[in-house]
Amino acid sequence: MNNGIRNPIVKFAFYAILILWGLSVLYPLLWTLLDALKNNDQFFRHLPWALPEAPLLWSNFSYVWNKYNFDSYFLNSIIITVGSTLLGLLLAATTAYVLARYKFRGSGALYLLYIASMMVPFILALIPLFFLMNSFHLINTKIGLILVYTSSVLAFGIFVLVGFFKSLPKELEEASIMDGASYFGTFFRVMLPLSQPGLITVAIVNVLNIWNEYIVGTILVNDPTQYTLPVEIGVMQAEMQYRTEWGPLFAALFFTIVPVLLVYIVFQRKIASGITAGAVK
Amino acid sequence: MDGRVRPVVLREFYRKGGRVMEAGSAKWQRNLFIASFIIPTFVFFCVFTIYPVAKGLYYSMFDWSGMSQTKDFIGFGNFKEMFRDPIVWRAIGNDYFLVVGKIVGIMVLATFFAVALTRFNFKMAGFFRSIFFIPNVISVVVIGVLWNFIYNPQIGFLNAFLSLFTDEKVSITWLGFTNHTIWMLLPPAIWAGIGFYMILLIAAIQNIPASYYEAADLEGAGQWTQFRRITVPLIWEQMKVSILNIMMTTLNGSFVIVWIMTEGGPDNSTQVMGSYLYQMAFRQYHFGFGAAIGVLILVLSLITTVVLQRLLRHETVELS
Repeated sequence: MNNGIRNPIVKFAFYAILILWGLSVLYPLLWTLLDALKNNDQFFRHLPWALPEAPLLWSNFSYVWNKYNFDSYFLNSIIITVGSTLLGLLLAATTAYVLARYKFRGSGALYLLYIASMMVPFILALIPLFFLMNSFHLINTKIGLILVYTSSVLAFGIFVLVGFFKSLPKELEEASIMDGASYFGTFFRVMLPLSQPGLITVAIVNVLNIWNEYIVGTILVNDPTQYTLPVEIGVMQAEMQYRTEWGPLFAALFFTIVPVLLVYIVFQRKIASGITAGAVK
Repeated sequence: MDGRVRPVVLREFYRKGGRVMEAGSAKWQRNLFIASFIIPTFVFFCVFTIYPVAKGLYYSMFDWSGMSQTKDFIGFGNFKEMFRDPIVWRAIGNDYFLVVGKIVGIMVLATFFAVALTRFNFKMAGFFRSIFFIPNVISVVVIGVLWNFIYNPQIGFLNAFLSLFTDEKVSITWLGFTNHTIWMLLPPAIWAGIGFYMILLIAAIQNIPASYYEAADLEGAGQWTQFRRITVPLIWEQMKVSILNIMMTTLNGSFVIVWIMTEGGPDNSTQVMGSYLYQMAFRQYHFGFGAAIGVLILVLSLITTVVLQRLLRHETVELS
């Protein structure tokens, strides 16, 4: 049995470090909420860690939601995140299944190509992407962002799912084919349901990445009605130099953080296994 | 019915009548299936990933303002101009400063947390593990804004905290130094990065057979010896992957935190390659020059990968 740390001073010091780090992580979340309930005056008169004064300004939330159009940014973010996650999952799972189960000319090279693409800095593709989407007339559209995000998550999905499909027993497919099911039927009715744990892992990791994405969003969208949440946060932050509205800024941060935090709380284990699976990346 | 019987039946089925026709159509069906699962994904990937990357390499050879129809082929002209530009050198320096700072900061803390939360029998280890990952699920943009507030000269945390110990109110503009402002970007980058690598290392440590540690315990080896002799050698692969990953993501993505917190300023002193690419291309419309910076990022990350792999392999030999 592992004895842990015996020296009480060392043990205390280690605990202290863990607790301090824990506070450094949790406190900003709490403070985002508290500061969202203050008015500008309180920011300048009181210390940053002071509690908000009564009456609490819950109106900052509705102000941001309505006046800053966070209702539409929120919706944009949801549509884009869900759309590209689902499309990415479908495209990655189909290819991953074939790569895991069928040999054909070039299958090894294709797999290597997808894996190697994870090593190429995406930023290199940024400028051409802008002109490509421009020529497709997909600048300032949700479809445009969905297409680019989908493509950007393919390699990771293929990588994880090839491994996952390989771990499933082959007998199940043979049985299904014997029962007269087509290749397609076998994939959609037998293999896809079986690979649910892998699919969920990939989906969650992709949801987090896409929801938080900023660079591509800024470059492909300059029409304020089409902003995603991170893009709008970036814009708000830049505008703070001219009009200071600290409370609403924190309310905006809160709206952006809460959905991913909920996803994280629910799917913690899935995220951990996604990281471990993608470690080679 | 268990699955093992069925392949035999399948073979039986093909051995019987109509074998040639059945096999021909089966092969066609198989190919159709493979094609329909491979091609859409591949086309998609070619259009939105491979083509832009290839085009990025191509654009780097042109003098091009993006808006005009004329693109002038200038070969390596952009690269020559790039190496004469002092801001590019500064950006490279800043990038590598962040790479080194993040590797040291993240690896030390992530390794410590991973070991502390698996090997030390600490109470609430699961809870700590859960919350330490939280910064990784938050958008870098949000993290940048939060840290901007910490550094804010008038109403920020840091000055208010320091003012507790001084007579006069501290009003340092933390993000406004003409030199060394890049140091201010290191804490948020480390804070935001640790959870991911901690989870990775925890998984690696949990894969180490408990018997190794039990044997070490019996021989009276302390935690420090166990860490050096068992844990580090056996998680070295994952530590290597982590270091390479930190390097890649920093060269590729430190742009966001820089852009949100300082926009590369003051006076370009915190510019990194990514932010300079963005500024040159999308603010000043030197698209060819921007693309050349993109190629520079690619080349530098490949070179650094090779160099780091050499260095880290050497280390393994020494350890084992």
